[in-house]
Amino acid sequence: MKAKNMKRKGSSGQVILIAVLAMALILLSTQVYVFEVQMPTIETGSNSLNDHIFAIKLGSRNVAIGSLANISSGGAYTVFTSNLERWASLVGDESQFGKGILNNTVEGSYPYSSGVWLYWENSGFGVSSVFANFTFELSGRGVAANSSYNLNVTTTLLVQDTYQVILGDEKQINVTFNLLNEGKPALAEQITLYYRVFDSWFAPNASNNYVVTDYGNGTYRASFRASIPSPNVEVSVHVVDRREIFVQANATCSQI
Amino acid sequence: MFDRKGQIKIIEAFLAVSLMFAALALMTPFSSTTDFERQETLKKLGTQVLVELDKNGTLGKLIGYGNWTALEQSVEILLPSGAFFNLTVYDEQMQKVNTQDISNTNLTNLQGRETTSVQYLCATRNSDVQLYKIRLQLAWAK
Repeated sequence: MKAKNMKRKGSSGQVILIAVLAMALILLSTQVYVFEVQMPTIETGSNSLNDHIFAIKLGSRNVAIGSLANISSGGAYTVFTSNLERWASLVGDESQFGKGILNNTVEGSYPYSSGVWLYWENSGFGVSSVFANFTFELSGRGVAANSSYNLNVTTTLLVQDTYQVILGDEKQINVTFNLLNEGKPALAEQITLYYRVFDSWFAPNASNNYVVTDYGNGTYRASFRASIPSPNVEVSVHVVDRREIFVQANATCSQI
Repeated sequence: MFDRKGQIKIIEAFLAVSLMFAALALMTPFSSTTDFERQETLKKLGTQVLVELDKNGTLGKLIGYGNWTALEQSVEILLPSGAFFNLTVYDEQMQKVNTQDISNTNLTNLQGRETTSVQYLCATRNSDVQLYKIRLQLAWAK
């Protein structure tokens, strides 16, 4: 009995040691588990770089939208290239991740000229568009990235119109038009419609029972009455979209 | 005989203490990595907040109109609670544009903390395209 107690007393230190070892293992395994759980956030470095590149693309797009807003309301075509140069210069000065070089080439092939295409003819179809290709290179501070992208900002207006003779020269005119941003339905900020009488253009008003219906999906319908002697009823639809880009489409109404 | 037993116990105790210290020492690098990650996460969140505001042109619009209060509120809403921020807007010539502080804390609160900063380039969408450099300083409250 005494020998058994002696043996137990003698091995008590080893028990403590094993207990400590077990505790240390538990502590370490817990810490490793916590570390493993948080592992996905370790990739934040490369993600931040991706966000940076995405932000540069976003800025390029904003520059293109602003430039087109300017050009479509009467600005010179060179506004687009000069704004892109300013943007490239700002990106070049930025050094959060290293030295960045942003190059751009504005589209010059038909129907674009200096990266701009404005088509506002008499075909029931109007386009205001800018198009440019970009390359972005980033180097330094242990990172290197290359990205090529193109930007096409296009506001399109499609017009379909009909008229009905009410009495004599009095006509009921219905104009349906669709506004698109990059081919997708978009909303208008401002709509102005004109009809032609001889060589003059008039905007219909309340006295013409002028009503515009917004279907909320980029489709609008305008209807009004007007006295137009000519059998060729011409309308001109002017729209400014939510991006402040102006587009115009002219059309000749068909009689129903 | 007794002396030897005592020595063994001392060695065992020494081993136990060393083992504990070794375990604690091994834990430290994990903890410091986590701090780094917290800063990186904050940086990423800051960038995402600015990207989110810039996506539909709101960021440029608020700066263009000088609506600093709305900008401050927007950033505060999008950042997680427990994050301090201080935002400064510069023009192309690196002249400070914001006429009032855009921050949810005072600068002394940021000074004692481990801060991270995000640099963001912003272009306005209006016909008179303006370009800005934005510096967003961030720190966790705890």
